[in-house]
Amino acid sequence: MTTSVISAAASTRTTASAQGSIELRQVRKTYGDVVAVDELDLVVEPGEFVTLLGPSGSGKTTTMMMVAGFEEHTSGSVLIDGKPVDSLPPRDRNLGVVFQNYALFPHMSARENVEFALRMRKVPKAERRQRADSALERVGLGTMGDRKPRQLSGGQQQRVALARALVFNPAALLLDEPMAALDKRLREHMQEEIKTLQKSLGISVLFVTHDQDEAMAMSDRIVVMKDGRIVQSGPPEEVYNHPLTDWVASFLGDTNLIPCTVLERKDGEALVDLGGLGLGRVRDRGVAGENYAVSIRPEHLKFSSEASADNCGKAALVSSTNLGATVRHRLTAGGHELQVRELSSDATNRPAPGAELFVTWEPDKAQLLVLEQ
Amino acid sequence: MQTTNPRQRLLTLLSIPVFLFLVVPTAIVVPVALNDSRYITFPPEGISFAAVAGFFADKAWTSALTASLQSAAIAVVIGVILGATAAIGLHGRKFPGQQAVVGLILAPMIVPTVVLALAFYQFFISLGVLGSILPIGLAHAVIATPYVYLTTRASLAGLNPALVNSAQSLGAGWLSVFRHVYLPVILPGLVSGALFAFSVSIDETVMSLFMQSPSATTLPVKMFTDIQFNLTPKIAVSSALLVTVATLGLLFQVMFVLKRRSTARMLPLAVSAPN
Repeated sequence: MTTSVISAAASTRTTASAQGSIELRQVRKTYGDVVAVDELDLVVEPGEFVTLLGPSGSGKTTTMMMVAGFEEHTSGSVLIDGKPVDSLPPRDRNLGVVFQNYALFPHMSARENVEFALRMRKVPKAERRQRADSALERVGLGTMGDRKPRQLSGGQQQRVALARALVFNPAALLLDEPMAALDKRLREHMQEEIKTLQKSLGISVLFVTHDQDEAMAMSDRIVVMKDGRIVQSGPPEEVYNHPLTDWVASFLGDTNLIPCTVLERKDGEALVDLGGLGLGRVRDRGVAGENYAVSIRPEHLKFSSEASADNCGKAALVSSTNLGATVRHRLTAGGHELQVRELSSDATNRPAPGAELFVTWEPDKAQLLVLEQ
Repeated sequence: MQTTNPRQRLLTLLSIPVFLFLVVPTAIVVPVALNDSRYITFPPEGISFAAVAGFFADKAWTSALTASLQSAAIAVVIGVILGATAAIGLHGRKFPGQQAVVGLILAPMIVPTVVLALAFYQFFISLGVLGSILPIGLAHAVIATPYVYLTTRASLAGLNPALVNSAQSLGAGWLSVFRHVYLPVILPGLVSGALFAFSVSIDETVMSLFMQSPSATTLPVKMFTDIQFNLTPKIAVSSALLVTVATLGLLFQVMFVLKRRSTARMLPLAVSAPN
């Protein structure tokens, strides 16, 4: 019985998933002289999981608050399902929002919390209860309906918040750093759960986080923000492997940034002079600027026993540190400091510090980018 | 455990006379009210409820009591509405001139009552509405509002502002936001604010005296004017009545309101630290 309710709810969602797009057109937000968000263009396609990733102050939360309607944008337009919602108050935007600290109503039980949106929509009591219970069941809290938020653990509160945001079949889901208050293990678990739930419901998600691992793990697309602007947008692998600026490269994890001069650019590939590391072929996404560098992730640099013409440099090992699953090697090569990371299981028979060796990389794993800093 | 330390024992000992000094002059009206005598005397000559019965049989005194209760009712209703809406409206907001607004709300606590009394007297007389209990109740509402504002503000301190957003995103309009988000949080503050408003009004003499008329004489005014001509024990009875009401209010507060930790910081405190 309960199962059929869930699948029925899930199937309604699937048919409704043709809708649920969010679009921002030239959205700008200023506080006095301070520009919080600047001429932002962003589309979340129906069913897409888009993450706004950036440090604090990058405008990502402000952007979400404008989509939800809690903040009014200074100019531009926000569209949900293709319709402008600029003049709609939050309650008419039909968006499920999960807040950073869940913002559950403390005096209401979990079930009453979940029922709230249905109550506001004047859904009859019996149906309300049934839908709330099946929503709670969907997030694995079928037996916890009578508990007050303070009697629930952080992870359980988070699930209640999710059930509450989903129970009224919103057009899309907005998640504002929902995992920030959870410990690491639980966070990883919830990431998977939310992702699975999102896929099975086919609902569009706009997700805000400053945690790049979280963004990598969950997103269909990552939108990296800095100082109120989008600096790069694309699938997680692309943003990670092919950052467009050195800032993006270092914000999304460790990387080797090697300043270079560009000798030739053709067909998405560039021939660059890496100084002491010789000539190299790297990927080129057409960025233009004054100073260029090449970004290679530590795990994409490989040791090699012999020299080859391109994409290979002579290096001296400085130190090796075992980090458990991986080993981090520090090297110097032609005046540059380099980092190489490899799986511990691969790191057998490595030379002692001071030894000379070669490092090499695949052109596709190295990215030509613009030096901003 | 509490008396192991000699310094603590000394403190306890010293606080007893202080406590008596504070309470005895107030409590003394109760035996006086129950005195078996035609005049106010102490110590009482015998216990009797004659004066109490006399108080309730005397139309002049009961109508004064009614007038007091009416003005208190006006003060509570208006004070709660104004104080609570001001506290909610200013909650979590920052704007230029905010301090001035808060100062204005709290001003009636600081401005000498006699100044207010004169101001209200002139104001209401120019409107030509003196002679009923309404202007007295309105004046009491003005001095009651800051108390409600402060108690409500104190209970709002524990409110997570995201709750408002979250209710809105779930489809709540302002009325539902008030009912489901604000009200549960501020209820203890509202109740103690209302009690403050009630006792402020019941006790207020100066303004009521300025605006009194034969048809609008509150209990304290009646006591004040009577005590100059005849020392009837009915004065003591009304004092005892006021003390009892105040004590009950305080008790109520301690039992039902202060129990909730979120509002424990609300009491007089707020008065000394307006921000």
